[in-house]
Amino acid sequence: MKDRVRRLFGVTTLVGLAAGLVMGFVVAPREATQGNVQRIMYLHVPSVWVAYLAFGVVLAASIVYLVRRLAAADRLAHASAEVGVIFTGLTIATGSIWGKPTWGTWWTWDARLTSVSILFVMYLGYLLLRGMIDDRERGARFAAVLGIVAAFNIPLVHFSVYWWRTLHQPPSLMKPGPGTMPGIIVTALLVNFAAFTLLYCYFVTRRARLLRLEAEAEA
Amino acid sequence: MMPDNWGFVIAAYGLAAVVLAAYWRFLSRREKELDDASVVRQHQRQGAGFSEPHARRPS
Repeated sequence: MKDRVRRLFGVTTLVGLAAGLVMGFVVAPREATQGNVQRIMYLHVPSVWVAYLAFGVVLAASIVYLVRRLAAADRLAHASAEVGVIFTGLTIATGSIWGKPTWGTWWTWDARLTSVSILFVMYLGYLLLRGMIDDRERGARFAAVLGIVAAFNIPLVHFSVYWWRTLHQPPSLMKPGPGTMPGIIVTALLVNFAAFTLLYCYFVTRRARLLRLEAEAEA
Repeated sequence: MMPDNWGFVIAAYGLAAVVLAAYWRFLSRREKELDDASVVRQHQRQGAGFSEPHARRPS
């Protein structure tokens, strides 16, 4: 990607994030029960969406790598896992901050919180595994297998609120059937989803390019 | 109805801003380092390409 295009992509991402903030803090109303602390949702929910997306991309790229042995697929999986770990960490941290005033506790070993923590640790392990193996091809192969296995945890995280009795509320948006949220809140959330998706794409393209440059420098 | 708890909102958004800005900065700095190193390598290769015939010239 050319420098100018990359810069334009970065500026578009920043504009998207600014639009998300305006939607979340200015356009969206104060929530009737939780008050303004509910505005953390415009950060927390898009973060977990990006985490799902990132690990879904790791799964797809890992399969492509194992089948075709494309170095680009391996770089995409690596970059996506790294970005996914950052957003999963943010999901856990912002959820904990939101949990204190609403649930009265920073943390509880609830099914959703526990499963998302396992997801975080698994992909952290994925990144550590990549760093531990010197042989690039071997490391990529092992990481691809782990990237596929770890992805089985994604539906477990998402459906944990249905399968077990949890303190965490069921999904308001990423679920089948008609939504229960007011239109303006859904719109604000969707703008933030789009902005975070753009940020994910921006980070992954840059990180994948960095991995290519690093490989070239080592060769 | 719950109190507004703006402190928690600021903490969540502040933390996210710091983490994402730090990662953005890491990508930019590392990219600059690698781009600079790649330019140096290119110059070295070109330099080696020109000097090699001279080096092999019989004295």
